[in-house]
Amino acid sequence: MKHTSLHADHLAMGAKMGPFAGWDMPLQYSGVKQEVLAVRQSAGMFDVSHMGEFWVKGPEAVRFVDQLITNDFMNAAIGKAVYSPLCREDGSVIDDLIAYKLGAEEVLICVNASNIEKDWNWIESKSNGFKIDLTDHSEQTSLIAVQGPKASEILKELNFDTAIETYATVRSDSAFGQTIIARTGYTGEDGFEVFCDHEQATQLWRALSGLNVVACGLAARDVLRLEACYPLYGHELSDEWTPLDAGLKWTVKLDKPDFIGKAALASYKPRWRLVKLVLERGIPRDGYGIKNSNGDIIGKVTSGSMSVVLGKGVALAMVDLANAPKSGETVSVVIRNQDYPALVVKDAFLKGGRA
Amino acid sequence: MSHNIPNDLKYTSDHEWAKIENNIATIGITDFAQNALGDIVFVELPQVGTTLDKGATFGVVESIKSVSDLYAPLDGEVIEVNSALESSPEDINQNPYESWIVKVQFNKPEQAQELLSADKYTEVVEAQ
Repeated sequence: MKHTSLHADHLAMGAKMGPFAGWDMPLQYSGVKQEVLAVRQSAGMFDVSHMGEFWVKGPEAVRFVDQLITNDFMNAAIGKAVYSPLCREDGSVIDDLIAYKLGAEEVLICVNASNIEKDWNWIESKSNGFKIDLTDHSEQTSLIAVQGPKASEILKELNFDTAIETYATVRSDSAFGQTIIARTGYTGEDGFEVFCDHEQATQLWRALSGLNVVACGLAARDVLRLEACYPLYGHELSDEWTPLDAGLKWTVKLDKPDFIGKAALASYKPRWRLVKLVLERGIPRDGYGIKNSNGDIIGKVTSGSMSVVLGKGVALAMVDLANAPKSGETVSVVIRNQDYPALVVKDAFLKGGRA
Repeated sequence: MSHNIPNDLKYTSDHEWAKIENNIATIGITDFAQNALGDIVFVELPQVGTTLDKGATFGVVESIKSVSDLYAPLDGEVIEVNSALESSPEDINQNPYESWIVKVQFNKPEQAQELLSADKYTEVVEAQ
């Protein structure tokens, strides 16, 4: 099992640890509920150093990344971050990622921990003929997310440059030397992610702890992203289907000159629709069946949990497009052979931390 | 980490406690179990009158991120359920030994005797 640079700190702080993508990671510290509320109301910090970081440098770095991903990277300003699926020629999803345009010839790509090897092999295999220098910097890079309405003022106290827009990134001096800071995250709150070396990560983590930022584990992270309706690879995204099946049409720019998967996605008819469900009673879990009012199974839950902020069960579910219910309709989630009513809703469960 | 394991109760290796009074067993989950589960947000209770078979599931306790079955510590019939837990499942976190889940009438006293003592259950917890 691999360890992040903060592993000893997690153990010392009494975190409950568990395996995730080959890493021994903190699942929770004080409790999922407390951690989620900290992020919604003040600030929480996450060790996400298990994630992968690839550097693309050189005169064709931006063009290379643009044709690699489905979203528009060419026209993003320098200093912007772009969320995108990474697809094969047939439109199936290899991973989802954030590409950070740090300079005209310098791009940082952050990928899911579980897909580092798969992504690296794919990206490297597509790099022939481009004037780029591609490096996997995952082992040398730590990543700490500081999320919540107070994240900005807290990082400012540690001399980070927090005066950047949402989905922007910059090389920032700090109390711990130079780092890369980005106003990105996976919680639905304002917040930042700091890419740094392992020594800086330890110093930053301890400083944040000293400022009473609540340490959060992967369990809280998953609840937070589900409340904000962000997809997770292996749940809403998979090798088996396309971004168009997962509500990510906005990230597939068919008007771009070319990108890997464009031809397939241009003619693709989605099979699934991703719907959002709220239950008054019962907690939906991954894999539970969804029934329509005729009692026919039309799909399954891809991510389900109790929402801490709503105090209700919430789920993202993939349903057969031809039989997809509309917002405002009621379907059933099958929980231990019993049907529990679930309302189909249009908007994310939480926006800006509010129900 | 030390856990509260009262001496006057019996236990199972599935982290349930049972208070045995005559032929009635009052059953709940232990302090270790509630701590391992974290914030409990849902309890599914059996109906009164349900027949329990030792080792079979009779209910469910869910935390925000997990689902855990409850296993019958002995054969018997459910004579009472703590339906207050349906509206305040967090009581189990706060007070696991007051927050009983079911009361079961049993007629195999030998099964009650086979349950673990506090000392034996402490060994189970320490081996985790």
